Amino acid sequence: MRLTLPRLLLVIAFLIVILVEFRTVLGFFDIAVPFTTAVIVGVVVIGALVLWSLLSSGEGSNE
Amino acid sequence: MRNTFVDAYPDQARFIRRVFATSFTAFAVGAFFGLIQALHRTDILRVVESPTYYTVLTGHGVFLVLSFTIFFLVGVYQWAVTDSLERRPVDMRFTWGWYGLMVLGTLLAAFAILAGFVESIDVSANTLFTFYAPLQGHPIFYVGLVLFVVGTWLAGADWFRSWLAWKGEHPGERIPLPTFMVLTTMIMWYISSIGVAVAILAFILPWSLGIVDSINPTLTRTLFWYFGHPVVYFWLLPAYLLWYILLPKLSGGRLFSDPLARVVFILFILLSTPVGIHHQYLDPGIAEGFKFIVMTNTMFLLLPSFLTAFTVVASMEHGARQRGGTGYVGWLRALPWREPAFTGMALAGLVFAFGGFTGIVNAGMNINYLVHNSLWVPGHIHTQVGTASALTFMAGSYWLVPQLTGNRLVGRSIGLVQVLLWFIGIVFMTNSMYRGGLVGIPRRTAEPQYEGFQYEVAAGSVGELNAQLAIGGILLFISAMLFLALMLLTLFNRDSEPVDNRTIPAPLSGPEDSPAVLDNLKLWAAIAAVLVLLAYTIPLASIVTRGGLFGPDIGPFPVTIEGSGSIELVRMGLEFALETVSR
Amino acid sequence: MRIHTYEKLWLVAALVLIVGFIATITYGSVGLGISMIDDSEETLSPDEINDDERFGEPRVEQVGENEYEAYVVAQTFIFQPDPIEVPANSRVTFYVTSRDVIHGFAVVGTNTNTMVIPGEVSTLTVEFDEPDEYGIVCNEYCGDFHHTMEGQLTVVPEAEFDMTELEAEADDEVELGDETTVTATVENGALNDLETTATFEIGDQTVEEDVTVAGQDTEELAFTVDSTELGEGDHDWTVTVDDHEESGTLTVVEDLEGEDETGADTDGANGTDEDAEAGDTDA
Ligand code: HEM
Ligand SMILES: [Cu+2]
Ligand SMILES: [Cu+2]
Repeated sequence: MRLTLPRLLLVIAFLIVILVEFRTVLGFFDIAVPFTTAVIVGVVVIGALVLWSLLSSGEGSNE
Repeated sequence: MRNTFVDAYPDQARFIRRVFATSFTAFAVGAFFGLIQALHRTDILRVVESPTYYTVLTGHGVFLVLSFTIFFLVGVYQWAVTDSLERRPVDMRFTWGWYGLMVLGTLLAAFAILAGFVESIDVSANTLFTFYAPLQGHPIFYVGLVLFVVGTWLAGADWFRSWLAWKGEHPGERIPLPTFMVLTTMIMWYISSIGVAVAILAFILPWSLGIVDSINPTLTRTLFWYFGHPVVYFWLLPAYLLWYILLPKLSGGRLFSDPLARVVFILFILLSTPVGIHHQYLDPGIAEGFKFIVMTNTMFLLLPSFLTAFTVVASMEHGARQRGGTGYVGWLRALPWREPAFTGMALAGLVFAFGGFTGIVNAGMNINYLVHNSLWVPGHIHTQVGTASALTFMAGSYWLVPQLTGNRLVGRSIGLVQVLLWFIGIVFMTNSMYRGGLVGIPRRTAEPQYEGFQYEVAAGSVGELNAQLAIGGILLFISAMLFLALMLLTLFNRDSEPVDNRTIPAPLSGPEDSPAVLDNLKLWAAIAAVLVLLAYTIPLASIVTRGGLFGPDIGPFPVTIEGSGSIELVRMGLEFALETVSR
Repeated sequence: MRIHTYEKLWLVAALVLIVGFIATITYGSVGLGISMIDDSEETLSPDEINDDERFGEPRVEQVGENEYEAYVVAQTFIFQPDPIEVPANSRVTFYVTSRDVIHGFAVVGTNTNTMVIPGEVSTLTVEFDEPDEYGIVCNEYCGDFHHTMEGQLTVVPEAEFDMTELEAEADDEVELGDETTVTATVENGALNDLETTATFEIGDQTVEEDVTVAGQDTEELAFTVDSTELGEGDHDWTVTVDDHEESGTLTVVEDLEGEDETGADTDGANGTDEDAEAGDTDA
């Protein structure tokens, strides 16, 4: 794993939070991101992150 | 040799464990009520009738922001004083005494509130935690609140006593920082809680017992807010204490500056009280000039929080560099993110910074009109006391409870999940609350769905806001339950050893770098008192002149059943007690 | 006291920011002349509300060209008047007081928002440019059914806004052969004179009458009905002034039981609109 589990969780938490708040910020600029779009983006991004961290078991797997 | 807090002070550890248990019980009930509210308001699941919602909401407010936070405060402060003065209280019986009084007060208030669920008991107090007259609760409710507050006063007296005893043994020494923080907090508390004590004892309680029959609602409301703003710092300062004392250690370093920490706490003594009218920007009967003055005071009250942000981040960076971190932001990676105690506090600080900006919006006496009493306000409440304080308390417990029990923390990684869940949950819930507030959804409302109009949500829909609020609430509730489960398991995790010891590393820049006048508590208390007099004498005088001490014939509006025998009983009990005392 | 350089910088920056906030807010409130809820109004005890000139009858009143005042009473769990109707392109000052507990008065989604405290009167002045509909909510918990406390604020197009009120009174029964009178009262709440036509219909008769009501004044109109023309039976009547309509039913009977004084009375009071008014003032 490229990321340790705690770090992966931390990054996921931050991604979710950024997604929610970023969508709000866009809303202030009259850019409406539909709910479903936001959910899909979230799932895709987080899924990609999880895959990346699981599959590419790089060198520093124990760090 | 193992050197945890419980090894050094077993009886103190036992006491603090008891205090924390009380605090966490209140937390459990309050969190459950929060869940009910989140689902009820959004019309997703309504397990109670809408009028009963207000019983739930009163409980949520009282149990969380009075019982949970303040019991936790006295626990942490007892730890801080004992640990930093390295001495036990002068008389442990007194310590148990004030704790007992606080518990008694809580039980009475809780009884008055919870009896609202049971029709056959003619007691209730659906006044919400602000108990604005002429809404009237059962006298037991007010008596409970008073006893609770008196308990905290005695707690403060106990800590002052410990400090004086210590001073006798250590002449000429600087007050250790944790004790300094405790004492300054308590000075602020003494000055401010007088307001609520007067409101209840002089006006609301006699009126609820039928001894006087009218009340000046603006006066009791102003006295409430005289106390109501400083009380938010009473919730926050134990979190500050943990950020200053514990967080640097958890980050692997030490506190950046002891003098600055002292300055920050002194600023809180001086500025926390003369700002309460900022909760009354929209109140008639108070001149614009007074509102303007408190607005400026409020803005200056940002200063200690800005300074705290600096010190906390600087201490974390120092810790990270000690752990081998490098680079401008690269050091962040060297922090111990796997520790729920650290991560929880760091996230709490982050959310607090964000919530601080929403607080600036509230404090702006013009923009306040847009958000006052809208759902925006609970949004702000949950980022501040609901996270900055609550999440810091939970995170702190991950370190403190092993110290208090001598047991190793159970489920460290579940602890991490727990604090992350809180972080996500709070962002979901408060984001929805902020946005809902901006389109005009009111707070404190069982069914914010109206017949005559629809909210105009700029981006998204009310349904989506509701979903977000409910998901957030559910995540928070799960997180709260996880935390409580871990605490219970740790308590019974007997055959284990904590990983850490109780020592707190000395600050980089110690107290010797600051002038001794910082420790002159009498001076600061006196200045604070003068500031309070300046800020409040004229507004209070003007309110009394306008409406009279007991108001222009404004009778009670009981949210309790009237003419009940139990009120009679309380009155007789009180009269009896008064007689015995005066004899 | 030793302070790190970064700390000093931070301290200065924080202070600058704070002063900046204060300046912005001062400009945004005092500077722009936006007035806050304050203590400018006299106190008003809840038990004086019914006898109060303004709040005794909660209403909207015109006080100047395009200027209106709304006297609103909040009580558990309603607002009076409801709905509140004001014209577009107007400046409205709301005066709000409470009859019982603390309430809120918030126009949803706007910054028109105030606490309503018993004993005190809140004032807020709002400009309405466009016709619109707003909800009003009580946003302070006021008891069991707080969540049902709502009202409506309608901003109607200027042309459609009227402050005319119509009332009509008539006997229920009249004896065949007698005359009776239907009295209509037209109240003009606006400052300008109201020039309009009142229409009275009964059976297949229609009477039209021009009427001018002075600003913030009342006129009475009397329509005389001859029962012989109508004949025995029930007859529906209506009085119409602009969009207002009042109606009732008059029954013509062969014989009124008891003393037939009502008929005589109405006869005596018979007279026509402006003349009658003038006569009254003379007397
Ligand atoms: C389990 C997590 C929680 C949930 C789901 C939750 C939910 C809610 C909701 C939905 C409201 C709005 C009620 C309304 O205005 O109608 C509320 C109000 C409030 N919450 Fe929480 N809450 C939680 C935790 C907390 C915590 C930890 C604190 C503080 C330590 C807190 C303090 C408050 C306060 C002070 C209010 C305002 C009460 C009032 O208006 O009288 N909550 N909560
Ligand atoms: Cu405040
Ligand atoms: Cu209400």
